[in-house]
Amino acid sequence: MIAVLGLVVGVVVGLLVRPEVPAVVEPYLPIAVVAALDAVFGGLRAMLDGIFVDKVFVVSFLSNVVVAALIVFLGDKLGVGAQLSTGVVVVLGIRIFSNAAAIRRHVFRA
Amino acid sequence: MTNEQNPPGGRPGGALPPEAPQPVRGPAPADAPKEISGRQRLLAGLWPPRVSRAQLIVALLLFVLGLGLAIQVRSNSDNSALRGARQEDLVRILDELDNRTQRLEDEKQRLDDQRTELENSSDQAEEARKQTLEKERQLGILAGTVAAHGPGITLTIDDPTGAVEADMLLDTVQELRAAGAEAIEVNGVRVVANTYFSGDGGDIGVDGRRIKAPYEFEVIGKPQDLEPALNIPGGVVQTLEKEQATAGVTRSEDIVVDALRPAKEPDYARSSTQ
Repeated sequence: MIAVLGLVVGVVVGLLVRPEVPAVVEPYLPIAVVAALDAVFGGLRAMLDGIFVDKVFVVSFLSNVVVAALIVFLGDKLGVGAQLSTGVVVVLGIRIFSNAAAIRRHVFRA
Repeated sequence: MTNEQNPPGGRPGGALPPEAPQPVRGPAPADAPKEISGRQRLLAGLWPPRVSRAQLIVALLLFVLGLGLAIQVRSNSDNSALRGARQEDLVRILDELDNRTQRLEDEKQRLDDQRTELENSSDQAEEARKQTLEKERQLGILAGTVAAHGPGITLTIDDPTGAVEADMLLDTVQELRAAGAEAIEVNGVRVVANTYFSGDGGDIGVDGRRIKAPYEFEVIGKPQDLEPALNIPGGVVQTLEKEQATAGVTRSEDIVVDALRPAKEPDYARSSTQ
């Protein structure tokens, strides 16, 4: 419950405060957000499976974000930033979908 | 990167599986608990809110996620698509803008030139119009369509006996013209190129209009030329005086010739200039 509240509060704060994102971070934010979403869906599924461990969640969340940003950074340096970030988004999207499917089976039994 | 992460399965954590209270989000409303199912775990985690370390950590991470989500959505829908655009895109956009600027500059230059040209040509047209007006005035004086004033003389011929004939008046006009008269008016009739005198003594017509003595000539021209031209021996004045008529010449600094005659459009003759 508190975790859900955290998400809601984060969205509200982001909309209201309008924080300025440092220019350095800016290109990585969208990919980082997608990676974090992937981690969240994974965590949700793990919880439904009854194997949720908060430490694992934290580590996966952070490493997801960092690795995603790293890949984009590397792609930019190599001159294939656009393609690489597309690739990352595709892979993460697939994972999100499969996790969502597992969650759906748990929740709706279908 | 994806493989190593363990969010989906959470495999490695096997350590404390039963500690399941951590909810993350609650999409599903339904409840139909029979056994320990995922749905029950979800509900159990959702409702009685418990403050635990795991809950707080997850809440913190989700807070960060929400923040990033909101910021990203905001900056995307925000003003320009330039935010977050990558470098090569920006360079391309900049190039396009440069090209566009160049094109617009060119167009501006072209339009400026055109405007200058138009201004010049309208200046020229104005000048031509002015010259035409000036010419029209000059020609109007000759043709008798406009009034004129200037230095000149007044010639008064009194003819008590009716001895002055039309040809004498015509001679007078010829003499005046020869002396440089520029505008002539006789008893309110403008004398122009095709003016004619008709009739006999005491009953003279100018261009078909009857005039009576005394005949008054208003003449614009150089007085110093006009007066001697009339007074020369054997000239107009002497001839008239021989016929019992009297002629008087008065110089004036400002003679007004304001009798007009309508401009006649020629029926057959056409201007041959272009």
